[in-house]
Amino acid sequence: MMAPLAKLGYFGDEVGLVIAFAIGIGFGFFLERAGFGSAKKLVAQFYLRDLAVFKVMFSAIVTAMLGVTYLAWAGVLDLSLVYLVPTYWVAQLVGGLVLGVGFVVGGYCPGTSIASTATGRIDGMVYVLGFAFGTLGFAVASPVLDGLLGAGELGPTTLPDALGAPRGVVVFLVVVLAVVGFAGASWIEHKLAARDAVAPK
Amino acid sequence: MSSWAANLTLNHKLGLVALALGGVAVLSRVAPERTLTLNAKELLTRIERQDDHVTPAELATWIIEGRTDYRLIDIRDAAAFAAYHIPTAEHVPLSEVADGGLARTDKLVLYGDGGIHAAQAQIVLGGMGYRRVYTLREGLDAWKDEVLYPSGPEHPDAEHAARFERAVRVARFFGGQPRAATPAGTSAPAAPVAAPEPVPPPPVSTPALPAGGVFGAPPAKKKEGC
Repeated sequence: MMAPLAKLGYFGDEVGLVIAFAIGIGFGFFLERAGFGSAKKLVAQFYLRDLAVFKVMFSAIVTAMLGVTYLAWAGVLDLSLVYLVPTYWVAQLVGGLVLGVGFVVGGYCPGTSIASTATGRIDGMVYVLGFAFGTLGFAVASPVLDGLLGAGELGPTTLPDALGAPRGVVVFLVVVLAVVGFAGASWIEHKLAARDAVAPK
Repeated sequence: MSSWAANLTLNHKLGLVALALGGVAVLSRVAPERTLTLNAKELLTRIERQDDHVTPAELATWIIEGRTDYRLIDIRDAAAFAAYHIPTAEHVPLSEVADGGLARTDKLVLYGDGGIHAAQAQIVLGGMGYRRVYTLREGLDAWKDEVLYPSGPEHPDAEHAARFERAVRVARFFGGQPRAATPAGTSAPAAPVAAPEPVPPPPVSTPALPAGGVFGAPPAKKKEGC
């Protein structure tokens, strides 16, 4: 076992921050290159005209999942040392809905709004400003929201734990889901593009 | 066949690769098992370097400082734990340490009465992939000898006296008391002023720190990094 590197003490917090900085630059770069610095591109998702967000995010998930699975299988990565964000299914369902509404209305999600700001787009900057005030507002309101924040606590949970299925089977099912999802997304895009061509708005 | 492959776009090929990798992953076994995998060299080196344990004095300082970056685990039976345990300790009996209640990501400090059971548990946990397991050196016996009931200074010089004075403050913090001083220059063993029995159970929770801390104001933390 040699990974996770930080957990096994190969480097400390300072080096970890430098690495995080480099990874953050890379993440922002590829978000922007995928066109995710533009609210128009992002929001096209919700009109089913361009499902690039769905495809990019799902391919990232599948790539990371396969990489982690094979590294663990090869004995290089100790999965039990990888940090898992605890699951609070009620709180996360509500938070996801709030995020989704914000995404449709504002045109960005948190990461893409930063990428957009970096490219000089004013709408991105306004979004980041709202994001900062929203964070502050949440911090002020969090004592009132206490009950909701802990709702549906399941602790650190994985799909294999929750489904009681072997990890490898879940990995395969997620890949199948992604491939079917991609095919479906492309089909919808073509269908609507054809319709738009016949009856342009 | 070749024309079929030639008609595939890059996306199709990537999708097929992902499906193939996902299919093979069904055969993978990455769930943690109860078999131990020990790296003998690593284990022995760690024992030799003596960085697999903390001393009672170090642990006492951590507790007084209120450090929360580790978990102190008492591996003795329930009756022994109820009679006395080191403040902040959690009770996980020896037979249950491998049952999954302890996270591999946590820094653990194990202790029993002596040092042996904790060291054995440490090896078992190490074999299960726990990488941050420490033991309290010589266990609760050493904790009582060195922290709760410290012996007087070995030499009457200022350095030893200062060290003893500090030990006395630590002992009182944990509800113990110092033993009589050993006469300087005598090679005879210390007078048998054994710890009073039964050991008075010091408070289970960490007592509130006196103003200014046990050792006066803590030194300003040196700023780290750039």
